[in-house]
Amino acid sequence: MENGDVFTPLSDITGQNGAAKVQKQERQESQAPAPGPRATIQDPDKAKRIGQVHFKAAHGIIIAFFTFILVLHILGIYLFTSGFLLTRLVLDHTSECAIPPIDSAKAYTAGDAEKGCWHPKTFDKAIVIIVDALRYDFTIPFEAQFEPTNLSAAASSPSQAPPAAPRHFHNAFPVLYETAKNEPNNAFLLPFIADPPTATMQRLKGLTTGTLPTFIDVGSNFAGQAIDEDNLVAQLKNASKRLVHLGDDTWHALFPDYFESNLTHAYDSFNVWDLHTVDNGVTEHLFPLLKAENASKWDVIFGHYLGVDHAGHRYGPDHPAMTAKLNQMDDVFRRMIQEVGDDTLLVVMGDHGMDAKGDHGGESDDEIQAALWMYSKKGIFGRTNPAYATPPANAKIRPVGQIDLVPTLSLLLGMPIPFNNLGKPIEEAFVGKKGADYENLATVNRLTAAQIHRYQHEYARARGLDESTRATALSLWASANNAWSSVGKSKSNSEQMRNVYEAYAAYQQDTLSICRDLWARFDIPRMLSGVTILASSLVVLALYARVLHGDRAEVTPVFFTRGAIGLAFGAIFGVGVTVFMPEEARSHVVILSSALYGVVGCASTFYSLKYRLMSPIPNSIWGWTSVIFTLALSAGFAANSFTIWEDEILLHFLTTFGVLALISSFRQKRIADRTLGVYHSILFTVLLRIASFSRLCREEQMPYCKSTYYASALSTTSAPWQLVIPAAAALLIPTFIKSYYEGTRNYQHNATLWIGLVLRFGLFLSAAYWTIDAADDGNWFPGWENILRITKRFLAQIVLFISLGFGYAIYNWSKPLLNVIIDRDETRKDQTGAPKEAITVLGFANVHGSRYALLITIWYLAVAVLQKPMGAGAISILVWQIFSLFEIIDTNNLRHSSIGPVVLGLLGSFHFFKTGHQATLSSIQWESAFIPLAKIRYPWTPMILILNSFGAQILCAIAVPALVLWKVKPQKKGLLSMLAKAVATHILFYATVNLATTMWAGHLRRHLMLYRIFSPRFMLGAVVLVVVDVVSIAVALWGARMSMLSSAEVFGFGG
Amino acid sequence: MASTTVINANATSKLQPSTAAPIEPLKNDAARLYTHIHPILVLSLYAFKFPALVADPVSTLLGTLAPLAVLQIAFVAVCMPPTGGAPTIKKQKPGEKKPKGPGQLEQRLNSKIVPAFLSLLLTAIAATPLLTTTLVLFGAPVSTHHLHTLLCGAHIAILSTLPLVYVHGVNGETWRQIVALLLPMDEVYGGLIGTVLGAWLGAVPIPLDWDREWQKWPVTIVTGAYIGYAVGKLLGGTLLKGKKIMFD
Repeated sequence: MENGDVFTPLSDITGQNGAAKVQKQERQESQAPAPGPRATIQDPDKAKRIGQVHFKAAHGIIIAFFTFILVLHILGIYLFTSGFLLTRLVLDHTSECAIPPIDSAKAYTAGDAEKGCWHPKTFDKAIVIIVDALRYDFTIPFEAQFEPTNLSAAASSPSQAPPAAPRHFHNAFPVLYETAKNEPNNAFLLPFIADPPTATMQRLKGLTTGTLPTFIDVGSNFAGQAIDEDNLVAQLKNASKRLVHLGDDTWHALFPDYFESNLTHAYDSFNVWDLHTVDNGVTEHLFPLLKAENASKWDVIFGHYLGVDHAGHRYGPDHPAMTAKLNQMDDVFRRMIQEVGDDTLLVVMGDHGMDAKGDHGGESDDEIQAALWMYSKKGIFGRTNPAYATPPANAKIRPVGQIDLVPTLSLLLGMPIPFNNLGKPIEEAFVGKKGADYENLATVNRLTAAQIHRYQHEYARARGLDESTRATALSLWASANNAWSSVGKSKSNSEQMRNVYEAYAAYQQDTLSICRDLWARFDIPRMLSGVTILASSLVVLALYARVLHGDRAEVTPVFFTRGAIGLAFGAIFGVGVTVFMPEEARSHVVILSSALYGVVGCASTFYSLKYRLMSPIPNSIWGWTSVIFTLALSAGFAANSFTIWEDEILLHFLTTFGVLALISSFRQKRIADRTLGVYHSILFTVLLRIASFSRLCREEQMPYCKSTYYASALSTTSAPWQLVIPAAAALLIPTFIKSYYEGTRNYQHNATLWIGLVLRFGLFLSAAYWTIDAADDGNWFPGWENILRITKRFLAQIVLFISLGFGYAIYNWSKPLLNVIIDRDETRKDQTGAPKEAITVLGFANVHGSRYALLITIWYLAVAVLQKPMGAGAISILVWQIFSLFEIIDTNNLRHSSIGPVVLGLLGSFHFFKTGHQATLSSIQWESAFIPLAKIRYPWTPMILILNSFGAQILCAIAVPALVLWKVKPQKKGLLSMLAKAVATHILFYATVNLATTMWAGHLRRHLMLYRIFSPRFMLGAVVLVVVDVVSIAVALWGARMSMLSSAEVFGFGG
Repeated sequence: MASTTVINANATSKLQPSTAAPIEPLKNDAARLYTHIHPILVLSLYAFKFPALVADPVSTLLGTLAPLAVLQIAFVAVCMPPTGGAPTIKKQKPGEKKPKGPGQLEQRLNSKIVPAFLSLLLTAIAATPLLTTTLVLFGAPVSTHHLHTLLCGAHIAILSTLPLVYVHGVNGETWRQIVALLLPMDEVYGGLIGTVLGAWLGAVPIPLDWDREWQKWPVTIVTGAYIGYAVGKLLGGTLLKGKKIMFD
């Protein structure tokens, strides 16, 4: 590159006559405006500077316009979400020790916490241990679950057919089962069903308040927030019990300052890479408290082990690490059984289960089926039926709800039942040793039901609800009370007492199911307003992207100004109107009014420009294809089947595009275009199919889907052979990218440095990361774990720095990827006698495209390092496909068509699935946050998770400007307008999908599959839309600005 | 789709936009009658075999392959003008110009049956693998159901490609235009496009959770192809005849 580092404006090269690119008197050595001997340079230079100012201003307004669209999207999504995910009114009533909800049975005097507030207490002290993600089948011996005779149990188990051999999670934690079976009076073990969402924080709320958690709380899992409704921990605190907490620090977010600070030890809960710190800490601090000399320092200990959960997240349940972890738990509880005092109740439970890969958050059977075990040396537990002495073989048999723990623990410890509780006392704990104390069972159920009744009464009053909604529950309540009063003084184990117990239990059951329905309560006006904003902003965007005709850059200022004025006016108007409105309605009205005025202001421009509006009906096969793809996909989200199989549908559509591109390429007149188009169409299509082999199945796709993303369907680690994938990508992808540059001779200067050297180096480092990670996981070098961990994190940090630091620096300061060759022809002389020179500009054909596409490769590196090996392969294929798509668009001359941006939208969505994601909460790869960092750090952790989850959509959004810029003439007019059009079309695709999923989620809000399918898809659509908006503005459009400014240094602005 | 051959073929060709006229069916009574009976026969065969197809796709698809081929050969032999081997059939309406002998068996064999069987052969060895590959690209299973997919491809090939080979021969440039959707619409071309579109739409019901037996692979695809063939042939021969597909 001896003559390439410094560039000369093209106007200089081509000389005054402005002819083609081949003649000039002399080559100028400096790129800076040369106040040299020739005065003619000054004018073009000045013009260029003016052009630059114009360009920057026009570009800035386009950025502002898209920011305006982003604001509309956020407002619409916020309003809808706040109406859709809002559920339950939290009552701040608390139960009091002295005020039982109903007159006491047997003339028991309520009010003395020492004897038991509403009912005589059974235990003074308790140790409550949560083993996070302790799934019920972990605790049941394999033989008990899958007896050859017990085929029905095996068939109903989630793993389709009875496994031939025990998995790693079987038989590793038998102590709970053994004690429950061998000492039924001392212990019992039951399936413990969680109410979704199965995130730890929501579970802790349910386990302490006895009520159903709301869905929106999922989002606050990272932040944590104090529980302000009545709960068991607060009741214990009020009764001056000394509480100790050990383990997961989520407790401290929920219950700040409740615990004895000198005995309490909390640990970071989200470092899923770390299996042992929390567990060892809990064990280390727990056992000393059991010693006799420390017994007086505490009343209740809450312990929270996280190792099982982390082993699940990191490795999946079927992994030796899980066996080791469960064995460790087994040892801990064997020891605890020995050391625990006689008057202490020991409770061990899982807060949720885990799915086949070890993740949780949703509501599949494996995620909600946890285990509950209670133990005490008092021997007070019983079974109502001798057959129940053996713990249930699977979680479908005799399950109890997690909310049932709250009244059970409250009554056993002599506390009042928390006000909002909906659970019922667990039978085994109150029925007495012989399993016949129905009087006690009826009494505790009557107390619980009465508390529920009191709560329901208050709730209905606070909400202004009509009694008719719970008419059946009220009649059950009345009949239960009648049964109670008619029993009188009969013997306690009589059949009548049993009927009373069952009558109260029926009331509780009915109320619970009413509440489940009631609390899926939606704020319909807010949802409608949200949909209105999203729909109207979609119309504006569609008009702007596809119907407006002519140069967008020159009219965008009007759109933006009117939109911004509308937004501001609407906000002021809204605030003015809401002065007289109740508190809750204010934010709703202000948001709706500002967004709608913004939309109206923006849309008024179309009225002024109506002579520039074209027909909205597509006028070519490509236009129709884009519309059909987008609308068919959006319509399909109304059906759960099409939502579940979205990945296959995307493959079908994209392959259709590949075939259409092939057909279209065959229609091209120029044979070069035809050949190139045919080649890239076939390549694009075949790569799709290759990428489609990377799959992570969602539960609903079973049994028609086989996961390949990880080593097995039961794991979240990669197989050793998968380590080859990132290495192969490092070897091949830079070469492939290079070939797209060499076709137009743009493989020059910084492209050789970046693509040939740095990108490849970065990709090799990320391949090395996964090799070291496998060494760490597989324990290949015992004793070296720490060094391996530090090294791999360091590698990942280097890669991220290379891409987003060094890469951006290269990108920003790079010259256009050109090379000027001067052939001095000594035989021919011009008038002055100097030899004639022929100048060839290599890379002229793709100045803009090659320069801009560097940005895609920069982000490719950042995204690839944050993916698992299989995902790195999918992302590499994606990048390859993106470049093929550029060639297809160019050879078929589809730069103005909507098909390019829409196909990029489909492609991004497709590779979202190919990078091991699904439209479910449990498929979020939380552990990717720890690829470059050792612990949670804001704002980096959320950004890493976004790059991991939406890397494919991000890369596709970045690729949109290159559709326009690829092989475009350097001085083409109206490039900025074409850019805005393409970006708007791309956003339009996601906005349509988002509107559709939003509407379907709202419309199908009573659908059985709402929380499993429609709601997660709606959340995905909303998050992706905002991410794509932000990336389009901050990365794509801003990157196009850098690239076009540097090209203009040489060629000037096309206008 | 016939990619490599076509690229080589048109590297030297100079023929640009197609000037071909739509294929006219033969002008005799048998042809006029049978061209309408044929799709009814094909659909009847399919409807008759449908329960068996749902019960056992592989053996039924295999068993109906020969009857379908016979029907298609009969159709082209009775109703369609064979390619003369020369690529210039488009200049005139070849059906009319064809010197028609007094119906000697030998001449009929040479002029009709032999090209028909050649078409079948080409369909079997060229079109079937290509269409099967296309099915796989669209997401057909790779590790299982091999015979299902192959036989599905074979049925689509016999429906769509066999008549095309019979009337257009194997000229590279003509086939480029066929693949590029540049030919004017006629019965045969309409049959091809209808079959492919029908098969494409046939994928729609597969993911639905209706738990019906007929949702299994590849029943819906084959159904779509058969119905699409009949509809495409009908529309191509009547309403859309002579129309061309515009991309831009």
